[in-house]
Amino acid sequence: MSNKSVFFNPFSKNNPVVVQILGICSVLAVTAKLEPALVMGLSVIAVLAFSNVIISLIRNTIPTNIRIIVQLVVVAGLVVIVSQLLEAFAYDVSKQLSVFIGLIITNCILMGRLEAFAMANRPWASFLDGLGNGIGYTIILVIVGFFRELLGSGTLFGFQIVPQCVYEMGYVNNGLMILPPMALIVVACIIWVHRSFNKDLQEK
Amino acid sequence: MNKQSNTYTLLYIIVLVAVVGTALAFTSISLKERQQNNAAADKMRQILASVNIEANGNSIAQEYEKYIISSFIVNDKGERIDNEVDAFDLSVEAQSKTEAAQRLLPVYQCKLDDGEIKYILPMYGAGLWGPIWGYISVNSDGRTIYGAYFAHQGETPGLGAEIEKPAFTSRFAGKKLFENNKFYPVAVVKAGQPAPEGADYVDGVSGGTITSKGVGAMIDNCISPYSSFLESLDR
Amino acid sequence: MENLNLFIRSIFIDNMIFAYFLGMCSFIAVSKNVKTAFGLGIAVTFMLTITLPINYLLQTYVLKAGALQWMGEEFADIDLEFLSLIVFIAVIASMTQLVEMIVEKYAPALYSSLGIFLPLIAVNCAILGGSLFMQQRGFENVGTAVCAGAGWGIGWLLAITAVAAVRERVAQYSNVPAPLRGVGITFIITALMGIAFMSFLGIKI
Repeated sequence: MSNKSVFFNPFSKNNPVVVQILGICSVLAVTAKLEPALVMGLSVIAVLAFSNVIISLIRNTIPTNIRIIVQLVVVAGLVVIVSQLLEAFAYDVSKQLSVFIGLIITNCILMGRLEAFAMANRPWASFLDGLGNGIGYTIILVIVGFFRELLGSGTLFGFQIVPQCVYEMGYVNNGLMILPPMALIVVACIIWVHRSFNKDLQEK
Repeated sequence: MNKQSNTYTLLYIIVLVAVVGTALAFTSISLKERQQNNAAADKMRQILASVNIEANGNSIAQEYEKYIISSFIVNDKGERIDNEVDAFDLSVEAQSKTEAAQRLLPVYQCKLDDGEIKYILPMYGAGLWGPIWGYISVNSDGRTIYGAYFAHQGETPGLGAEIEKPAFTSRFAGKKLFENNKFYPVAVVKAGQPAPEGADYVDGVSGGTITSKGVGAMIDNCISPYSSFLESLDR
Repeated sequence: MENLNLFIRSIFIDNMIFAYFLGMCSFIAVSKNVKTAFGLGIAVTFMLTITLPINYLLQTYVLKAGALQWMGEEFADIDLEFLSLIVFIAVIASMTQLVEMIVEKYAPALYSSLGIFLPLIAVNCAILGGSLFMQQRGFENVGTAVCAGAGWGIGWLLAITAVAAVRERVAQYSNVPAPLRGVGITFIITALMGIAFMSFLGIKI
């Protein structure tokens, strides 16, 4: 596989969320508003790219029987660093994300990419793979966050988008959109659209 | 060296833990001060919000210095007491879980632009999903509420989470804490239901019944011990 | 009494799947039929029930600010909270490995039915999520931690079994639009069940 396809495949054809079905938990939890969704996406990109590189660098030295623990420790270390940085430089967002930053550790995308790619490839390719998958994940996060915040609160990034006169005509925000179950339905709709265009992904 | 041997595995783990541990300790220590500053600034912002002063960014500390003229600790008899921990650094969470008679109760004294004095009292309690906390500001005679601020960790957005919105907090302004010289905490009631006798009340948020009840319980638990202090303000 | 309330609350109101949506990856992958779903559910319940009290003890006596006081006054102001994530995940990963070895040795029958799921559990968000919620809420004692762990586990078991049962029927009898088949419709089923579970919120216990 060329480096280019390693980087671009996860955007759509092999998207970690809607095709590989990994990392769903955080998609649901942090997408009620667009801003935390974006920060979460960026954190995952950073952790994923760097843990891929680190594991790829030390891949030949890792004893096979403690492989999983080594991967987890590396990922956990990076996640703690990211959460400490957020707490120092983006305090408001880190409060909103609370436990979900910690849950990046068990985001299955990370373990999936480490096992499937970084353990068998060179650092540069692994870095691109991490970056690509992180971006693919962020794309979905942002789409879901966009619809949920727009329909649920009438805002985007906290700014009023739906004009006041529409409310005066009787429009009401759909409170259901803010609740976590609706994130599942939005993801299901994305899968629906995505698979109507990519017929080879459809299940029997 | 044999990669499958136990010695290798053990050595590997030790080296890995040492490296990761050092890296973490380093980030934690080098960022600690910034994080504490952030937390302190956030607390100052919340305290100011209870007297309807909006502060943000770098101005928070200055605004706090400007408006909050003093902070001190009282006990449940309304007497000021000396404590080695500053009122600002006192954990309201820990205090709210102890017996009312043994509590250390922080009070922030605030002087507004028009020269009026307000007293700000912190609160801490439980909502539906997690902790809720807030500040109530009381007029200088200790009889009526001036303003309120509430925050929460993870209440349901659109329902319980509405307690942090001005639409809810503004309901507290002007509520009476004393009726016939007897102290009653402000009750939070479900819209349309009768309030407890004697107490002034506000309507809870719609759809957030348990969170609203949590707010009511929090006010009762955290503000009632101040009753002697508030009474003494009138003299 | 308190603990019993918490236990029931953890099963229905704070349900890991329908209220917090944790542990979704393995939930989606393994809920194709009831039998395997039940197996994974048991494994998750088991792991939550043992890792939560262990992590609780570590949190209270090692990690929390001032927790090392029992070692002497000079340790009183050490704060190891920043290590908690790494400690929790290490406990979970090693417990998984340990349980796998014990079960394999002493209960081969159970191992052959559970075996393949055990390694999956180390990266199940519900397990780590349980420990993080424990830390965030500041439980009072070990009993509380055990009850919450067992409750969350049983709630997860209940959720995955219920959804698996619905999925079995849907796969057999329903004409789902082709792009939605499999994963898509599972998401929608889970969402609808989640909305239904929200009605438990009104119960006061």
